[in-house]
This record gives sequence, C-alpha cells and structure tokens, in this order.
Amino acid sequence: MRGARPLLESLVAIGVGLIAGGLLMLPFGYHPLRAYQALFQGAFGTLHDVLETLAFATPLMLTALTFGVGVRAGLFNIGAEGQMYIGAIGAVWAASFLSLPPGLHLLVATLVAILCGALWSLVPALLKIWRGVHEVISTIMFNWIAFHLAMYLAIRYLAEPGRAERTRPALPTARYPILAEGSTLTAVIFVAVLFCLAVYFILWGTRLGYELRLVGENPEAARYAGVRIGWALLWSFLIGGMAAGLAGASQIIGRPPAWSLYATLGNVATLGFDGIGVALVGRNHPLGGILAAILFGALQHGGRFMEYHAGVVSELVRAVNGLIVITLAVPELWTMLRRRLSR
Amino acid sequence: MRGLLQRLGWIGFIALALGLLAYGFEQVGLKPVSLLEAGLLAMTPLALAAVGECVNEKAGVVNIGLEGILLITAVAGVWVAEQFGSGIAGLVGGMVIGALIGLVLGLLAVYGRSDQIIAGMGLNLFALGFTPYLLMSLWAFPGIHIFPRELMIPRWITPIGQISPVTLVAVLLAILAHILLHHTVLGFRIRAVGERPEAVDVAGVRVDRLRLFTSVLGGALCGLGGAFMPLAWFGGVVKEISAGRGFIALACVVFAGLEPLLALAAAFLFGLTEGIAYAVAVTPGVKERIPFYFVNMLPYITTLLVVTLVIGRRRFPRTIGRPYARE
Amino acid sequence: MRDIHKVYPDGTVALRGVDFHLEPGEIVGLLGENGAGKTTLMKILSGLLPPTRGEIRIDGRPVRFRNPADALRAGIGMVHQIFTLVPPYTALENILLGQEGSMLWLSKDRARDQVQRLLQELGLSIPLDVPVELLPIGVQQRVEIAKVLYRGTQVLILDEPTSALTPLEVAELFRFLRDLKAGGRSIVFITHKLREVLEISDRIVVLRNGRVTGEISTPEATPEQLAEWMVGRAVVPRVSRSPRPPGEAVLVVRDLEVIGDLGLPAVKGVSFEVRAGEIFGIAGVEGNGQSELAQALGGLRPIRRGEILLDGKPLTPLTPIEAYRRGIAHIPEDRLRFGIALNFDVAENSILSRQWEPAFLRGWGRLDWGQILSFAGRLLQQFQVIAPGPRALARSLSGGNQQKLVVGRELTKEPKLILAVHPTRGLDVASTAYIRELLVQMRDAGKAVLLISADLDEVLELSDRIAVMYEGKFLGVGPVEAFTRETIGMMMGGIVPQGRVG
Repeated sequence: MRGARPLLESLVAIGVGLIAGGLLMLPFGYHPLRAYQALFQGAFGTLHDVLETLAFATPLMLTALTFGVGVRAGLFNIGAEGQMYIGAIGAVWAASFLSLPPGLHLLVATLVAILCGALWSLVPALLKIWRGVHEVISTIMFNWIAFHLAMYLAIRYLAEPGRAERTRPALPTARYPILAEGSTLTAVIFVAVLFCLAVYFILWGTRLGYELRLVGENPEAARYAGVRIGWALLWSFLIGGMAAGLAGASQIIGRPPAWSLYATLGNVATLGFDGIGVALVGRNHPLGGILAAILFGALQHGGRFMEYHAGVVSELVRAVNGLIVITLAVPELWTMLRRRLSR
Repeated sequence: MRGLLQRLGWIGFIALALGLLAYGFEQVGLKPVSLLEAGLLAMTPLALAAVGECVNEKAGVVNIGLEGILLITAVAGVWVAEQFGSGIAGLVGGMVIGALIGLVLGLLAVYGRSDQIIAGMGLNLFALGFTPYLLMSLWAFPGIHIFPRELMIPRWITPIGQISPVTLVAVLLAILAHILLHHTVLGFRIRAVGERPEAVDVAGVRVDRLRLFTSVLGGALCGLGGAFMPLAWFGGVVKEISAGRGFIALACVVFAGLEPLLALAAAFLFGLTEGIAYAVAVTPGVKERIPFYFVNMLPYITTLLVVTLVIGRRRFPRTIGRPYARE
Repeated sequence: MRDIHKVYPDGTVALRGVDFHLEPGEIVGLLGENGAGKTTLMKILSGLLPPTRGEIRIDGRPVRFRNPADALRAGIGMVHQIFTLVPPYTALENILLGQEGSMLWLSKDRARDQVQRLLQELGLSIPLDVPVELLPIGVQQRVEIAKVLYRGTQVLILDEPTSALTPLEVAELFRFLRDLKAGGRSIVFITHKLREVLEISDRIVVLRNGRVTGEISTPEATPEQLAEWMVGRAVVPRVSRSPRPPGEAVLVVRDLEVIGDLGLPAVKGVSFEVRAGEIFGIAGVEGNGQSELAQALGGLRPIRRGEILLDGKPLTPLTPIEAYRRGIAHIPEDRLRFGIALNFDVAENSILSRQWEPAFLRGWGRLDWGQILSFAGRLLQQFQVIAPGPRALARSLSGGNQQKLVVGRELTKEPKLILAVHPTRGLDVASTAYIRELLVQMRDAGKAVLLISADLDEVLELSDRIAVMYEGKFLGVGPVEAFTRETIGMMMGGIVPQGRVG
C-alpha cells in the first residue's frame, strides 16, 4: 500500500498533464490524438527508437537526482541547469584538450565533469549554510551566471578552429562506446544508472544518508539526534552537483554525433530544469527517477516525431512536463479522486 | 563580526558600482541620463512583479512562478496588441492573462492546498516549453518576433530623459500597494491573514477570498510587467525574454521584507545594474575591453550579493506558503 | 444540538451522535479525555466545522452555520485553546479585526472608545496598544475573550482555558466567568480536569470516544463517578512509590544561565542536584525557562554561565551525542518536534539519536539493518508499543505509542540520568500510567530522574523532591512532603508563601 499510492499519484499526474497538453493543441488546429500517437510511436516504435529514448533519459535521471537529493534534505535545489553547464565545460576541456591513454582519458574526463558540477554547487551550499540564503534564488542566479560563463568559455577558449558554433569535439580516447550502430546511446547510461544506484544506497544504507533524510524530514529532530545539519546540507548539494556534472559530461563524451558543446549551449540547455519534473514524478527517489527519466526521455524523443508528423512543436513536451509538476503539487487532487472512486 | 563583514560587503559593492560608473564616464563620456533611462526601463518589470508579490506574500501566499508569468504574458501581450492593433490593449491583455494565471495558482493553493513552491516551479517549467510553442504556433518563427513599430508604447520626453508611462504606473502602483497594505481595512485583513489565518477566520472574514484576491492581484501586476518588456522596451519578443527577472523580482521581495516601497527601491537598484550592463555593452571603446558575457552576469551577481548581505534581518509572515485548513 | 455526527475527511470518526443543550445563564462543563470529541463538538457549534450529520437549534429554530461569522451573528463565540490572535497586532487591532466599522479606510480611534467602554463594563484590564505577542499568556486570554464579547456574544465557549494559567489566574478567570453568568450569558467550559469542572460549572456533560457517557448537575457529581464516565474505568491508577534512600548526586547544576530564543536570559542562575535513585520534579507554568533548561542539559542549547557536573566531572561544552555518551537520556518536550520523524518508519525512529552507535553500523558508515530491525522489534515488545511492525511509518502510530517508542529508545540507552520533559503530555490515561510507572522503575533501579512537567499532579505524584520554576529561577526546592498543591500553586504564580524560603 505504501508503494502503490505514490505510483498511482504519478500516473494520474502524467495523465492530467498529457490531457491538458492536448487541450493546448486545440486552439492552434492540431489534432491531439494524432499528435500523441505519433509521439508514442516515435518513442517506442522500433528498437532504434527505444535506444534513442534511453539516450534522452540518461541526463534526465541524473539531473532528477540533483533535485531529488535536495528534496530529501529539505532543499529546493534547482541548480542542476548551471551545474550541468559547468560540468559540460569541464568535460570538453578534459576530453578535447588533454591527451591521455584510452580508458584513463575517459575516466579523467568524467571525473573532471563531476568535480566541476560539484564545485558549482558549493557556493549556493555555503551561502545557504552560513547566511541562510534561500537556495531557489541562489541556484537560479548561479544558473544564469553559468550560462554566460559557459558560453564565454566555449567561444573564447574551447571553440573548434574555424567553426565558431561549437567546441572542439572530444578526442576518440575520451568517448563512451556507442552501444548500437546508428544509435546515439552510449555506455554512459551504465555510469548514470550506477550513479543512481550508488545514491540510493547512500540515502538508505548509510549513516550519512540517514542523517541527510532526517534533516529533510524534521530538522529539529536532526538537531536533537546530534546531526551536524550544515554537513548534511553540504553533502546534499555536493551529491546533486556531481550528478549534474555527470549529466553535462553525458552530453559531451557520451552523445554522438556532436561529441562537443554547442556555443548556444543548445545541446544541454533545459535538461537541468527537465530533471525537476522527472524527480517529482519519480517521487524524489533515485530508482523512481530512472523510470521517470525513461518516460520523459520517451516524450522528448517522441516529441521530435510528433513535430515531424503532426506539426506540433516539440517544445510542447516541456510544457506538459510543467503541467505534470503542477498537478503533483496538489495533494487534494488525489484525495478528491479517491473519494469519487470510493463512492 | 557578521556586522562588520556585512558593512565591508556593502562598501565593496558600492565601490565596485561607482568604479564601473566612473570608468564608463571617463572612457566614453557616458551620459548619466541614458544610464537612468535604461535603469528605469529595466526597473519597471521587476518593480511590477515584486510589488504584486509583496502583497501576495503578506497574505501568506508564495508565487515563485513569476518568471513563468513574465514569459507567457510577454508573448500573449504582443499577440493581443497585434489583434487589437494597439499597444495599450496588449498591456491590458498581459494584465488579464497574468491575473488568470494568478487565479489558477491561487485556486490550487487555497482549495487544492497545493505545495506552492512546487506549483510555482511547475508554472516556470510550463512556461519554458509553452513560450517557444506559442512563438512557433502564433508566428511560425522560432527566433525573435518583431511586431510593427506603431504598437510600441511611446515614451515621454522629460528633463531626465525618455520615460515610459508604464514606469510611472509602476511607481504609482507601488505607492498604492503601500497605502492598501497599511491604511485600508482590506490591507489590515491581508496582513492578518498571513500571520494568523485562524484569527481572520473566526472573526468571520473569508480567508480563501483574501488569498485569492492577492494571488490575482500579484498575477495581474506581474502580467503587466511581462507585457511591458516587448511592448514598451525591447520592441520584440524571444523565448527567453524575461531572463531570470522573475527570480530577481523574488530577490527584491526578500530584500524589501515584503514592503512595496522598499521593493520598488530594490527594483531600481537592480534595474540600474542592468542599465550599467547595457550601457557598457553598447558603448564603443568599453565593449571591446569587457567581454559582453561578463557584463551580462552583472544583474545576477548583484542580486546574489544583495540577498546574501541583507538576508536574515527580515521578518516574514508566520504562515507564509502554508495552506489554511480548519481541521 | 441533536444527534451530531462528525467524520473528518481523513476518515477519523470524532463524534458518533451527540446531543447537547445549553440554557441561558448557565455554565456547562464539557469533560473528557484528549480526543473524546469535546473540541470538535464546540467547533461545530461555533460554525468552524460543518457537522457530517445532525442539527442545531437555537430557541427551537433550526440553524445552519456555514462559517464562524454565521455563529457570531447568532451570538455564539468560541475562545480557542490555541489563541486566534494575530501576534504582531495590538490588542485593539485584534479586537477590531473583522469589525472595522468601515470597509475602506482603517480608523482605530472611533473604535477605541467603544472597546474601552466594553472593557470597563466587563472589568477587564488590557493594554490596548501593545502587540499581543509581547503580553503574558493570561492577558492574551483576556484579549481573546474581549474579542469574542465585542461581537455581542451571548454564548461563550472556552476550550481548555486554564491550561496555561497559574492557579491565581485561574481563580481570577473563574470570578470573571461567574460575573458573565450573572449578566445572563451562557458558558461552555471545555476541560479534562475534574477539579475545575466541579468548581465552576452548574452542569457537567462527559464525552468519551465521540459519545455522551454521562450528564449530571454539578452538586450531585462525585469525582469518582466523573472519572469513570471519562475513562470508562473506576479510578485513574496511581503510581505507587515506595520511600527509598537517595544515593550519590549524579547531576549537579551550579548557577546556570541560558539564553532563550529572544536573546534574553531564560534560565537565570539555577542551582540544583539530582541524586541516584530519586525523581527530582520541576513544576511551573510553561514558558518560565523549563524548555531552555532541558535543552541546555540535553546539549541542544549553549549555556551562558555556570556549570553542569555529571558524576562530579564538568559537562561543557555539550552536544547531544556527547550528552548521550556521558549517560544522559533525553525524553524531549515535544515528540513531534524533536523526538520522532513522522515519515520515518519505526525502525528508523528507534535509532534516532543513536544512529552513530557502532552497534547499528557496519564498516564505512553503512547501517546494519539486521541489527536495527531486531532492536526495533525488541523495543516494540519490551515497551508495549502497538505497531504493525518495525517497518510501519511512525505516522501510523497513535500518540501514546509514538511516545512509548521514544521513551523505550531513551531508557534503553543505559543512562545514569533521565531527562523527562512533559513525558505524558497529551497522552491517553493508559499510556500515561505506563510511562509514569517506567519512570518510577528507573528510579527504583538507582537512576537519577529529572522530571520537568507542567502537570502539577504528575510532579506531586512522582517526585521525591520538587522545585518550582518561575521566570527562570527556582522559587522553592524541597522534599515533596513539604509542598501542598496550594503552596506550589502560589509559587507558580511567583508568590512565595509566608514563612517559607526555597
């Protein structure tokens, strides 16, 4: 029973979000059913599509982790976006400008990205712990600073000579192997899933995770239990930053065909914000996040088909994401529904 | 120790700002009037969003979806203006749509007992996708949409430069909001409902209506700010038109401790920063030396600095963000 | 009120068919345990909650209240247990709220005269221009009553009005209520205290489990009869406490000063000792520094001056974990605030504050779930906690069982000193008796027990020695035999009886 209700709530929210999204198509003369049919066909129609859906899901499960680990510690950390930009910059630098043996190069590039993400989360964390600056404001400001900083670095220092629109691509020694011919899914998905599993283990299998969750559930009880609250918050930010950094890396050294960062940041932008919806649908649980990421990956990959076949702009998928989040914010919806059903 | 750091921070910040200003003046003979002009323009949407949110939060309702409202009403305002062939109609349209969004959020918060932070963030995420979708669906063009020049709200030429009438409306609204909160019965009840909704309820005043009212009011002001950006400032609309202004407005609210007049002052400060950034970015001789990307960061860095320095000294209503239920 | 039923949206059945009537000019005592449905019934009468079934008639005419405004118009007003005052507003503003007179501009001067006239009539003295958050609880209550009466109320409902008052203030309140009655108003007095209901009421209605279990006119009532109606059992069991010679001093506190949340000293130079094998009880009205004292001893609040010695060795600076290591178990004052996490399961709560113990960990900071689950299972069994199992959420347990879980967790820490703060507040009779007995067992086993409680009966029943705390200081310290209810009552109000010095 404890497991069933959150799942049902998520499903209801997804349903409401999709229906509301369909309603948004009507004024512009699109056909919602045809659009959604194209979307799901596009997402799961062939094995190739399933692999693409998984490729889209990879960064989402990580940015969802950033938000989810924050919520577990009572934070509303929406800094995944900026931490991901900086992680991506770190990955570009390590993968394209260092020269290392295969294997090691891949490892170093991944770790540099993770470190960069964590570093970018450090300042909002310290501001929160020392000055009580609300993380919504600090992380959003850091997202925008990261946005301009990443563009600057990408264009000024990391650009591919002669091609200003993107950075130098990752060297072959720093690329994750592609899993199937013609697909953009690489072995980085295994790293992402492993990361999620590791965080799951930390949260429920260690003293650190116990204390972190206790701070989120009841900060006063945490104080009574002798938990050093600042440390718990710091770890929550850092784990989140690492996840976001890895998400950034996954789009550089784990995603063909570009293997690089666009100067507009177009191939990473909004993945951090998308993670918020993914996390909430996955109930801020690392494993739930994996499932929810696959669902949202399907929406994003299928969205491109929808645009092609039904003419509906694929960005609508992001709007649906927002509608799902709004629905999940209303617990009464579930209560009302249950009352209706039990009658 | 903390007080000292705080003072040092302020001094450093003011010195930095003055230094930048002096540098600009010296290099290119930058006119203070144009700086003030740019600052007042940048202030307007911030002030409108922040003043509305001050009243809303006084009643105990938080809307962190200001960014989303700014985005949606910017596009919607342009569309309405084009339909009616009038910029003013566009501003009114933005207000109405902002009010409607505020109403929906208010209904969810009051009757749905929603988590207001998550609902507001949901609105932001929604706008992130809905804005480009609207741009494409309305004008079939993904980039910038430029509307006819005659729809622009004309600016008044005054001794201190060209000023948009909407800016004056924003200042007026801030004063009115102050009067509303502190000198009227309605404001007396709004402040009470944020502190202790039970007290208002047992006194026979409807908690739900008060909170719906402030939510709609906040949405409407924010919507005016959203429509202002394209129709009285930029002359066009892009999908990231608000660029975090909704969150900067939230920072103004925090800075102001929910007092509309202080929020106006904070908006002016942030607006001026943006004005400086803009002036630096367009002035020949300066723009080559300071990378445009760093100039663009200025408003966000200022926001962070100010919030870091003033936080903790403000008192917020006790029930802020919490739904009220009798049971 | 006839055949009132109430089912809350979450499915809790609060009232199962209650009939209640009220005559003009009488005081009715509504008696019952926590959760009996007293407050729910009166919230329905005052329009705050709609009944699920049943009807309300006034002078024979059926009425339906959709909100408190309707009830106020019908002359019914309620003074809630948790006051409904706007803390930063002045008394005048609080009285005016909802009755501002004009719809547009706020003008307080016109209303001021009216309010002052009313206060004079009632014989209440209230400073009108001070924010109510700065007023003492007793004065806040007067504001709350004045607020209700300003609306022309004929029926006044008071929910547990004495819980935060000193005995002197209670006497004053009772005098005031009798005056109101003489003026023709009717009063409903909600309480769980037999003594009070016998003193003030004309008629007593007893509720248990959402039903009326008895109704009697006060002169005919006996405490035994009322108690049986209230708890369904003949008498509340008293904990037996055999005399026992105390041992060595375990805890010594010297000249302790602790700063409160407002930055002012809350504990102002307190010295005492607690010996092995004794229960040292600290009585007092809440808010006189007891919380801060307990938090300082539990390592939750830094001390400003003075020293704390445990077994003769100094104990500062103190963290909660250090306090535990040195042998202090802390049953915190508010379990929902400090003691448990509602969304954690029983097993997770059973190691709250013990999560660092090597017994519950394997290498690298990993939790040893096998150990934790079996420990939680043992706790459930040993301390009679009724729970579906160690994996059930704490939220699903009743208040009494949550508290037994906390008490069990603390008592199994093998402490030298047990810090028990309001250990039975808000609990049912059975859990209360059980927890009191556990504390006495601990005493008999040679532990030192420091009991802090606002429940005077609890302190008198359990303690070997007593101190009364008032405004951060001890007014009297001595063996329990040296105190009577009356002397403690006066000290709780800050008055040291003649011929006694603490």
